[in-house]
Amino acid sequence: MVKLPQIQRGKIYILLAVLSWMGLLLVNLIRVFGEINQMEGVISKEITWVLEILFFIWLYIYFNDSIKKNENRNFIDFIWRPASTGLIATGTSFLIIFFYYLLGDSRLSKDLLLMNFFYHVNFAVVSIFLISTTLSWKHLILYQKSKAIVQQWQAYEVILLISMFFVLISQASFNYGFMFGLIFLIIYGAILSINLKWIPYLTFREKWKSILFMVIIIACTLYLFFRLVSYTQQNIHFVNLSENLFLLGLFVFVLLYAIFSLLVTLFNLPTSSVFEQKLTEAISFQKLSQSIKPGENEEQVLDILMDSCMSAAYVDAGWLELHPTEPEESSIIQLQKFISNSERQEVLEFLRKVEPFASYLTKQSTIKKEYLYGQISHETYKSVLVLSVSANKKSLGNIFLLKEVKDGFNKEMINIITTFVGQTSISIENHRLLNEAIKNERYREELEIAQRVQRSLLPSELHHNNSFEIDGFSAAADEVGGDYYETFRFDNENFALIIGDVSGKGTSAAFNMSQMKGVFHSLVQLNFSPKKFLSKANSALNRCLEKNNFITTTYYTINTALKEIHFARAGHCPTLFYSQSLGCSRFLNIKGMGLGIVRNEGYENYLEEGYLEYQPGDVMVMYTDGIVEAKNQENQEFGYDKLRLLLDHYKALSAKEIKSKIVDEVYDFVGRETLPDDDYSILVIKFNA
Amino acid sequence: MLTINKTAEKSHLTIGLQGEVDASNSVELDEVIQEALNDNIKNILVDGTELQYISSAGLGVFMSYLEDFNEHNILFIIYGLNEKVMNVFHILGLDQLITITDNREEAEKLVHEA
Repeated sequence: MVKLPQIQRGKIYILLAVLSWMGLLLVNLIRVFGEINQMEGVISKEITWVLEILFFIWLYIYFNDSIKKNENRNFIDFIWRPASTGLIATGTSFLIIFFYYLLGDSRLSKDLLLMNFFYHVNFAVVSIFLISTTLSWKHLILYQKSKAIVQQWQAYEVILLISMFFVLISQASFNYGFMFGLIFLIIYGAILSINLKWIPYLTFREKWKSILFMVIIIACTLYLFFRLVSYTQQNIHFVNLSENLFLLGLFVFVLLYAIFSLLVTLFNLPTSSVFEQKLTEAISFQKLSQSIKPGENEEQVLDILMDSCMSAAYVDAGWLELHPTEPEESSIIQLQKFISNSERQEVLEFLRKVEPFASYLTKQSTIKKEYLYGQISHETYKSVLVLSVSANKKSLGNIFLLKEVKDGFNKEMINIITTFVGQTSISIENHRLLNEAIKNERYREELEIAQRVQRSLLPSELHHNNSFEIDGFSAAADEVGGDYYETFRFDNENFALIIGDVSGKGTSAAFNMSQMKGVFHSLVQLNFSPKKFLSKANSALNRCLEKNNFITTTYYTINTALKEIHFARAGHCPTLFYSQSLGCSRFLNIKGMGLGIVRNEGYENYLEEGYLEYQPGDVMVMYTDGIVEAKNQENQEFGYDKLRLLLDHYKALSAKEIKSKIVDEVYDFVGRETLPDDDYSILVIKFNA
Repeated sequence: MLTINKTAEKSHLTIGLQGEVDASNSVELDEVIQEALNDNIKNILVDGTELQYISSAGLGVFMSYLEDFNEHNILFIIYGLNEKVMNVFHILGLDQLITITDNREEAEKLVHEA
């Protein structure tokens, strides 16, 4: 609904313009008829002027509207439109002359009304040409507009509007007021005509086209002007429409802008290639900085670099030599352009003999220069530019650029090429960083998976019966850790229990921990005595642990019917035991040796088996060395004594509460903000019956 | 932080350890011992008087050379460990495998007796 009037608006303007023109024609013909027949004052002159002004205004609005619709056209279109309109106007004028030529000396050729009719036709096409051209010029002037230019143009439009009405104020032609107005319009038009910013953006070809069109426009303008003037001189009985300030002002403006454009385009022709070159360079820069996207390779950016360098300095031949990635490999020659292998070898031979290239090519690491430039006495290639391409401060390779002329590279060319090379380095560095980031992200994900897997290695539920409570806690310093505990139920009264710590931490410790778990589950079912269990575990682990890795562990078997515990310690931190009858806690320090330290049959000799009977109210605390070796800000260790005193203090609580108290105490000691530097694990058993 | 000082004497090599041995610097300790083995040194003394802390990774280094010491008849003695560090050796059971003496004199005496 909204669109409908938009489409028809242009047609309405045309209709209005045609109506005003027809009205103008009718009024003037009546006036001329009256003048011939000496009937003065039939229609006053003012009606002519008003109709003429209306005709101008409708045309102006129509062309302003139609040009707005085509604003995104290129410059040549904007010049072609006035040129074609000019040709049509001139053609129409010629047709009229041809028509009169055909009429010859007949009576019709002397007819004043016919002559006036054709004069009006001529006037209309001239007006159309001038107004449409002015609006084309407006578009060109306002290219890359600033506020000042827009204001200047708006002022000019106001002045043009005033000039239309000038005829109503002063009807006498060519008086001082008219001359003053005309001169003012000429000067203002000339000032506006210096806005020619569009010309440099034309390509070489387009400039030639533009010159051709401008010549056509100038020729048409001049011809049409003299044609109108000649009408004025030929006819006695006639209404002069051309002696109008607006029309004359437009004539001058159209002509001036066309002449200025023609001259500037003409003088711009020789430097046109430079501007085009700069534009290509800017585009090359953009390409270089955007070229590497994830998944693409570096070769593409090097290719763009090579092309950009070659076009920037009109290089005749060149190649890119990449340093080998492995020292024993030979360098890779890439992107060899416009040069044969044998020629390249020849040039290299010359380069090895001439400074500054010789020293650079033989001992590459010593000289840190952006580029090397020099002359050689090769039969075809006279000047050489060598640039080093690097990324992350490491040289990737060299670019060799050759020109057939002496002193072929000037300072500007070298500057632009070195910036290209710099940009390439940045692109490649970014590309590598991005790839690395993607890789790291993948590692992180893998580690998260490992973390989940490892968490599942620790039991979620610990076996027990009504005789005792058990609770455990484990935290790893890194994503994965090497602490381990597990329980096993033989029957209702018999349980096995293990706590272990793998030497080192992180991923390697986590792998060994999972081996320990496997060993535990294989051996526990055989129901060995603790000493035997550890001895078997040692011989199993000897085969899979690395030379400097070991595992400390304590293995317990608990019989709740007999209320007895058998245990053996493989180098693990001594168990802390609170005895209700003694009223204090102590460490169960028995002889022991870590798993994987002694890798022969004699291992069992280093072990001792402990035995104790428990009573209700007794508490057993099993832990890893992370707890006792936890350090605070002053580099003091948490220590065994503190742990013992804590148990003495909290012995009455449940197993879960004792565990939480100890864990909290350790974290408070270390400081909540500091990251733990070892894995912490703790297992608390409280005997109830 | 770990500082390792090597002092070659007529009868033996003394490796002085200062500070803490943990996972980050246990490699340095490993290199020093490996070097001594390569140099065919028969008596190695480790001065642990300034050793503040040793992690499981550090113990792993000593442990991994035990077989080599036996095989090549090398006398390897650690002396002067403070109570805390000594306890670490003791808990793991390494004191059953490595000769550990209280002080330098005792260690040197063992060297001369051998």
